[in-house]
Amino acid sequence: MLKTTLAGLRAHRLRLLLTAMAITLGVGFISGTFVLTDSMDRGVGKTFARSAGKVTVAILPEDGGIPASVLDEVRALPGVVEAQPKVEGEAALLGKDGKAVGEMPTLGVSVPSGRLLRYDVDEGRVPSGAAEAVLDAKVAEREGFEVGDTITVLDRRARPHRFTLVGIVDFGIDQEIGYRGAVGFDVPTATLMTGERTYREIDLAGGDKAAVAAAVGDRYEVRTGQELAAKLAREAGADTKVIRAGLLLFALVAMLVSALVIYNTFAILIAQRMREMALLRCVGATRRQVFAGVLADSAAVGLAGSLLGLAAGLGLGAAALAVVGRFADMPVEGLTLTGRAVAIGLGVGIAVTLASAVLPARSATRIAPVAALRTELEPGTGRFRLGRLRTLFASVLVLTGLGFGVLGSVVMEKGQAAMYLVAVSGGVFFLGVMAAMPALIRPFGRVAGAVPARFGGVPGRLAVANAQRAPRRTATTTIALTVGVGLMSLFAVVAASGKATAAAKVDEQFPVDFQIRAQLTDEPARLPRALAASLRARPELAAVIEVRDARHGSGRTVTAVTMSALGTIIKPAMAEGSLSDLRPGTAMVDQGTAKDEGLRLGDTVEIATARGTVPVRLAAVYGEGMPFTGLMVPETDFDRYFTVRDPSTIFVKAREGIPGATARKAVETAADPYPIARISSAIELKESLGNAIDMILMIFAGLLGLAIVIALFGIANTLTLSVVERTRESALLRALGLTRRQLRRMLSIEAMVMAVIGAGTGVVLGIGFGWAATNAMANDSVFAVPYLQVITYVALAAAAGTLAAVLPARRAAKTSIVESLTHD
Amino acid sequence: MTSTPASPPAAATAHAVAAADVSKVYGTGDAAVHALRGVDAAFDRGAFTAIMGPSGSGKSTLMHCLAGLDTVTTGRIMLGDADITRLGDRRLTLLRRDRVGFVFQAFNLLPTLTAEQNILLPMELAGRRPDRAWFDHVVDVVGLRERLHHRPSELSGGQQQRVACARAIVARPDVVFADEPTGNLDSRSGAEVLAFLRASVREMGRTVVMVTHDPVAASYADRVVFLRDGAIVSEIVRPTPDTVLDRLKSLGA
Repeated sequence: MLKTTLAGLRAHRLRLLLTAMAITLGVGFISGTFVLTDSMDRGVGKTFARSAGKVTVAILPEDGGIPASVLDEVRALPGVVEAQPKVEGEAALLGKDGKAVGEMPTLGVSVPSGRLLRYDVDEGRVPSGAAEAVLDAKVAEREGFEVGDTITVLDRRARPHRFTLVGIVDFGIDQEIGYRGAVGFDVPTATLMTGERTYREIDLAGGDKAAVAAAVGDRYEVRTGQELAAKLAREAGADTKVIRAGLLLFALVAMLVSALVIYNTFAILIAQRMREMALLRCVGATRRQVFAGVLADSAAVGLAGSLLGLAAGLGLGAAALAVVGRFADMPVEGLTLTGRAVAIGLGVGIAVTLASAVLPARSATRIAPVAALRTELEPGTGRFRLGRLRTLFASVLVLTGLGFGVLGSVVMEKGQAAMYLVAVSGGVFFLGVMAAMPALIRPFGRVAGAVPARFGGVPGRLAVANAQRAPRRTATTTIALTVGVGLMSLFAVVAASGKATAAAKVDEQFPVDFQIRAQLTDEPARLPRALAASLRARPELAAVIEVRDARHGSGRTVTAVTMSALGTIIKPAMAEGSLSDLRPGTAMVDQGTAKDEGLRLGDTVEIATARGTVPVRLAAVYGEGMPFTGLMVPETDFDRYFTVRDPSTIFVKAREGIPGATARKAVETAADPYPIARISSAIELKESLGNAIDMILMIFAGLLGLAIVIALFGIANTLTLSVVERTRESALLRALGLTRRQLRRMLSIEAMVMAVIGAGTGVVLGIGFGWAATNAMANDSVFAVPYLQVITYVALAAAAGTLAAVLPARRAAKTSIVESLTHD
Repeated sequence: MTSTPASPPAAATAHAVAAADVSKVYGTGDAAVHALRGVDAAFDRGAFTAIMGPSGSGKSTLMHCLAGLDTVTTGRIMLGDADITRLGDRRLTLLRRDRVGFVFQAFNLLPTLTAEQNILLPMELAGRRPDRAWFDHVVDVVGLRERLHHRPSELSGGQQQRVACARAIVARPDVVFADEPTGNLDSRSGAEVLAFLRASVREMGRTVVMVTHDPVAASYADRVVFLRDGAIVSEIVRPTPDTVLDRLKSLGA
């Protein structure tokens, strides 16, 4: 049987090549993921091993910090040649415009000198003394500082200090430094600037772990250099695990689509080779042999596709690694192809191919030997009727999906559980659509083909009819595209709704033009109240709203806002009670805090003030959308309870009719003397939020792109097989006067109609479940459909489908009429 | 296109289609097969001609060349006043669409179209409006009025072949080529199809060239041309099944 199989394979080489491509792409995605993350792991491990190799023993705090006294203790231990503490805290670098740089203040970090220096000095030297500092390479480049420049850094109390920049340092793999940037000092200066009184770590050169552990081990964690490297690498490895899991999720989608494509190809091949199979049965092949023969075919395809996929995976991994090396703070140490990557790639590829071929192989065994003698009916055609079982199955799935969807989006309390339910309902509903799809191809085809059937002339009409003639085949081909396009539209709708929701909340409840924050995250992060006063003096500005907060008890926050703005400019969505209930001696609380702490309207809350505990009554509960949470009290009460006078945030509303640029200038002028004042406009806030969402959406689209490409291969594949099947029909059409160009156009339109059916179904499902997900998320979410984006998806799918038809169409057009007419 | 397909100009030649010294060679060198060796043949307008010959005599090749489906190696084919051996694929396709009708042995109809759509297909491809009265007349003659909205899979073999005949006639082509049109039919259905082809010549003034190996089918024609080894060897005017059979026997078929 194996020989027959291989002969069969050779005869259908081109068709199987297309099938193998589906597997190649899927396996390429999986093995590429492993290549990327394994290479990253190895690079990270090596880097840590190198930097920690200099350390004999490291002392780490259990939590909090290590007091200075410990340093003296371990320095005195026998064998210890050198001990260096690590100081890390906030120290905001000012840019050339005199404003603190970045979204968050930079970190102040101690840079040891001598043999315990773990960082690479890219340029210059390490700092020493109170007048020298270094910068991490990224911040230096971004802000345009060079060795020899003078830089200004704010200390903990926001007082400026000037330093000479003596070096550029690579701080290695540290996500926080990577994001915020860092200024390096020697240890005493770092302590002074950050105000940190404890150490994050103490590194020792010389000495041994046992002795150090004996001295301080009961209070602190003691590790050797290697142990430290292993720990750091493990922590970084947790990140690559998350990346891997995320990527594999998308790879799973791609494999699902591959499975559909392979299933379809084998089903069509079996149908076309019915006579061949029947002949085999006639000459004595058993059912089992026929079954094994088809599976052997698929195993060969799976193996070939998976091997190609491994090669593709290496390429994909290398490309992704290059991108990561360029844009992220990640050492690249060459490609790693582990045995695990090979095993999983090959295993999944072959298993998916085999599993997809089982059903077609089973139908091959049902071919009666006598079929060899019958005249051939065109396989897979005719009106498709859902069998009873399939109807039942499809309706149960669709109804369950709908039920869950309604339950999750409308009935249940908003939140995570509801969203999970909507996700499950989406999956179930999709399975239902998949089961019912063959019966839906005719109506969907009529819709998708309405335009070409009307305006595409005879080729258009024939193409639309052809797309509908083998419903099962078209259904599987199109549903493969539905998966990718559906998920993409779902993400697009959820993203657009998220943006719209955020924008609506801001516009409704907080219609301000500028927000000014202190560029410090450590307590106390406050703006000088003089800034508010000078802002109020500007004629361009209509309102200046101060938000003050104070801690009371363990970490609870009490907030007060400028009273005149409350209810006029700031309009919180009230969950219970109203704003007018907020009288002296009362407070409001946000819904989330109320729920977490079990607070109810009318409860009395104790506030620990500067002058003892004060009981206040909860008069109202405010909803989401405020830029703060927790208790909120009237401004006059706040003045009595606390000594805090400086605001943490100032909101500014420009006067009506003042252009944005003028208003911004006014705010900037007022804020000029205060380097820590960070101004952002509402438009910028909305934009940055939108940009972040768009970025994620783009990454998702890129990852789902592969599933869509595989589905397009599926369309090309189905079309190629159909063209082979319809050789005589094409010849007849050509004899009757269909030009080559018209024949090509006919096939392009057929592919386009299939693509539009698939993409259209996906878009409809995506929007529907996007609505359900948005609804399930929160009470006040705003549903938005990015029409342009969604229409673009369908248009792109149509164009790509047309492209997929190019090769089969060329082949069909080249075929000789006479040969096709005379040969069977 | 110099002539209107619906009504040939009076000045045109008396031949609907003619082959002049046509040779057709497949392959090269030792593997070369001479399917046609210098065939000269002319087919009169308004006549029903049958081409006969043993298997491999080149009768199908001749028909394919005459119809512009295949190219000739040397020689000329004149379809009316047009030399089709000089035309490219596109011009040839347009010419077939406008001036030639076909009836094949099997697989004549598009399974996705109804009988009516199949009949009108060549005219629609050419972007021509069907002449409704003529269409009705043809449909009534082939007796398909009741079956116009059925798909081929819902029609019997004879009905399918009659749909093909109607399609070949309805665009009023210069020539209708029929390749073993009764090969797959029982004798009664075959007789109906042949009667229609003859009627289309005698009553509707069409020109039909039919390839067949059945002496009874050939006897419906006005003239039978015999081919052997790629050359015309004989012909009979006003044939009967017996005269055709005798001639075939004498040719050693």
